[in-house]
Amino acid sequence: MLSTLVSAIAFGVVLASIIAIAAMGFTLQFGLTNVFNLSFGSVMTIGAFAGYLAEVNGINAWYGLGVGGVAGAVVTLVLGRGLFRLYARRGAKLFEMMMVTLGLGLAINYGIQAISRNNVYQFTVLQAAPLHLGPVTITPTQAILAGIGLAIFVSLEALLRLSRIGKALRAMAAEPALARSCGIRTGQVVIITWVISGFLCGMAGVVYIINSQSVGYATGELFLPLVIAAAILGGAGSPAGAAAAALLMGIVTEVVSAYGGPQYSTVAGFGILVLVLLCRPASVLGGQAREMRLTL
Amino acid sequence: MNEPGQEPIPGPGPAAALRDAPVPALSARGVVVSYGGVRAVDGLSLDAFGGEALGLIGPNGAGKSSFLAALGGQARIREGSISLAGEDVSRLPAYGRARRGVVRTFQMTSEFSGMTTFENLLTAGHGAQGAALGAIVAHPRRSRQRDQAVAQRAWEVLKRFDLVGIADSYGSELSGGQRRLVEIMRCLMRSPKVLLLDEPMVGVAPHLVDKLMVDLKSIRDDGIALIIVEHALEVVSELCDRVVVMALGRSIAAGTYAEVVKDREVQAAYLG
Amino acid sequence: MLSSWTFYISTLVVYFGVDLLSGISLNLQYGYAGVINFGYIVFQAAGAYAAAVVTLGPSGGAGSFQKYIFGANLPFPLPLLVATAAGAILAGFVGLFSLRRIRRDYQAAVLLIVSLIAIQVVQADIPLFNGSNGLTGVPRPLVNVLPLSLQGYQWAYAGWVLLLCALVYLLVRWLSRSPWGRALRAMRDQEDAAVAIGLNVTALRLQVFVIGGAIAGLSGGLLVEFIGAWSPDAWGYAETFVIFTAIFVGGVRNYRGVLLGVLLVPIIFLQLPQFLPPIGYPGLVQSLEWVIIGVLWMLCLLLRPSGLLPERRAKALPDLSGRVA
Repeated sequence: MLSTLVSAIAFGVVLASIIAIAAMGFTLQFGLTNVFNLSFGSVMTIGAFAGYLAEVNGINAWYGLGVGGVAGAVVTLVLGRGLFRLYARRGAKLFEMMMVTLGLGLAINYGIQAISRNNVYQFTVLQAAPLHLGPVTITPTQAILAGIGLAIFVSLEALLRLSRIGKALRAMAAEPALARSCGIRTGQVVIITWVISGFLCGMAGVVYIINSQSVGYATGELFLPLVIAAAILGGAGSPAGAAAAALLMGIVTEVVSAYGGPQYSTVAGFGILVLVLLCRPASVLGGQAREMRLTL
Repeated sequence: MNEPGQEPIPGPGPAAALRDAPVPALSARGVVVSYGGVRAVDGLSLDAFGGEALGLIGPNGAGKSSFLAALGGQARIREGSISLAGEDVSRLPAYGRARRGVVRTFQMTSEFSGMTTFENLLTAGHGAQGAALGAIVAHPRRSRQRDQAVAQRAWEVLKRFDLVGIADSYGSELSGGQRRLVEIMRCLMRSPKVLLLDEPMVGVAPHLVDKLMVDLKSIRDDGIALIIVEHALEVVSELCDRVVVMALGRSIAAGTYAEVVKDREVQAAYLG
Repeated sequence: MLSSWTFYISTLVVYFGVDLLSGISLNLQYGYAGVINFGYIVFQAAGAYAAAVVTLGPSGGAGSFQKYIFGANLPFPLPLLVATAAGAILAGFVGLFSLRRIRRDYQAAVLLIVSLIAIQVVQADIPLFNGSNGLTGVPRPLVNVLPLSLQGYQWAYAGWVLLLCALVYLLVRWLSRSPWGRALRAMRDQEDAAVAIGLNVTALRLQVFVIGGAIAGLSGGLLVEFIGAWSPDAWGYAETFVIFTAIFVGGVRNYRGVLLGVLLVPIIFLQLPQFLPPIGYPGLVQSLEWVIIGVLWMLCLLLRPSGLLPERRAKALPDLSGRVA
């Protein structure tokens, strides 16, 4: 019994690192721009396919992480600076922006489906012998992925707390109008945010398929709800929060899956997201509404 | 004037003093409003009486609009209490206070843009009771009679303010001042006891400011308590019977306009 | 040749009617209550399942392998009433927890997730609505009673659906023109001002949501009684977006626009590929359809947020007080 629980927790940590990478990207983006980006999952899929294509063309799967990241960064920058900004310029409100990302996500997903002929491709990463850590058996790959998640978390925190760009980002996320009048180059900060969050998004896609060993058009969609839940639960704009929330969600998902079955873990994940969305104090406070603005 | 730290509660002005033992139409005691740690209103008390116009003035950031929001129910009160004619309404949500007779205007004119002036007045005249789905479905004839009664009243309000001409106009066709008047007429359709006005003269052309002041005085003379947040001091001096001066969330002076203007602390707050 | 054409057209008319009801429901919820119900399809599904289980008879009985709750054998038109009630009740329940005053994009996400959760729950291996296999063998109403041929029955059913559409439309239009409808428009225009004149906007929103849910349930009941089967394949979350696209394209808050949009999108656009020569590999066209829907969404939001047919301005109220111009 105990070994099931410990095992589930260990898998939960692995899953958490996968969610965390994506969630940290999402929260960076969301915290600054306020765009509820439902096409995030599709960009993860793009990153995943980029990693897959790299591997097919002989590049090592681990370098594929970088390839996926770059693909994600480029696509996100183009979308953020080009497409989303277009709508923002024309006075789109928050929920309209979300609908735009929804339509975009649909178009990208089914575009990928069309191109990939709705196939699911095998993505093999050579597995070394599994490691036995007490009652837990995980593969070195999974351990490495968890390590990568940790490394990213540390770097992001360092960036936000220590670098000038990081401070500018936090200032802008908190008080966009004020930041602008303080002389912060807001356009630059937004671009950097798109690039970093896009990189994380694309890379997360590759991380996911390294773990799941297959890639298809629906890859990103499958765990987008978990990513969004972790990002919002941890507080928009806080990578530390996203990482902690991802840890929680990863463990809960795996434990529920171990005891109840995978379908219930999906429902649990969705349920957490609903609760988070309903209870997080991001609500509009009546007449004194601190209207959330889009920062693009 | 006032010792530092002492909460001035302005007593009833001359009009109200003519009645015996007047009960304030609206009372606030020690109201605190905070937004994420910042105390926008830091323990404010005042009484507003029917038939009086009370001005709320002070430098930017003094908390005037936040206080008005607390009175109207748009902002939650952290501490303190608000009463209407002696009845505690601190816990009542905004729509409940509106039904009890507290109406307000907003800084940006809030006329319903998809409707004509007349329809704006109808909507307010029906309020929640007239709009109740159950009543409309179950008693269609009574509902239609009510519709006619409300329309009649709307017409009377339009005539009173000499605005019959804009009855069929949409907000986008009206000037700032006219839209403000639509908002105020809409408030009157509720037969209110207290009218809260948040910077009513913003966006109103000068010639309409005079009309607006005459109209507000007439509303005041009906026995309604007016609380007006206003920056234009000439409007305040002309319109308000009493004035409360706010700074940093607190009241620093109270009395007639002539009195508070001489107060050193008030002068310091405005200039400092 | 001719008979298969008329069969096809009559089927299409039924789908058109059902989608029209969906359009009216969504238009009410989005256009009047400002609720972005991305979980719409779940209310249609509730109605469909409800109508199915009260017509199929007791679960597991009469040699059936299907497992579900609430079996019964209700005669026409009771299953439709049950379907309508099911949609309304589910909407009431969902509305109670999701219609608070939160960010509208969060609210939209919540409603979307509700439909995702619902699919997961139904597909789970429990005797709720027979899981992934769904329910089949739902008998068509009055098919043994009416002396009609198969084709004749099709037309009769199509007429029945259109009749209900007209009735629902008239009801909704009457409500929209009432003081209640005006209160809704006020809430939509300036929510804070609506609150300031005493309207309980949360209650109003819930009322609209429930009415929309009832119409959705009705549409589901009509659909399942026509098709005879209903399974999770029929109510994926993406179906909601088709109807949304229809009302965006045609015109939000505007029932003629809804009619146009439903005609253009679910009917003409989605049926079009059947008449084109096969392109690429099988399934390509379906994928491309969805791509186009996504692009259409984005275009509508960019170019004509209010659709092709703009909302007609309310006419001035007839003069009830004898005023002189």
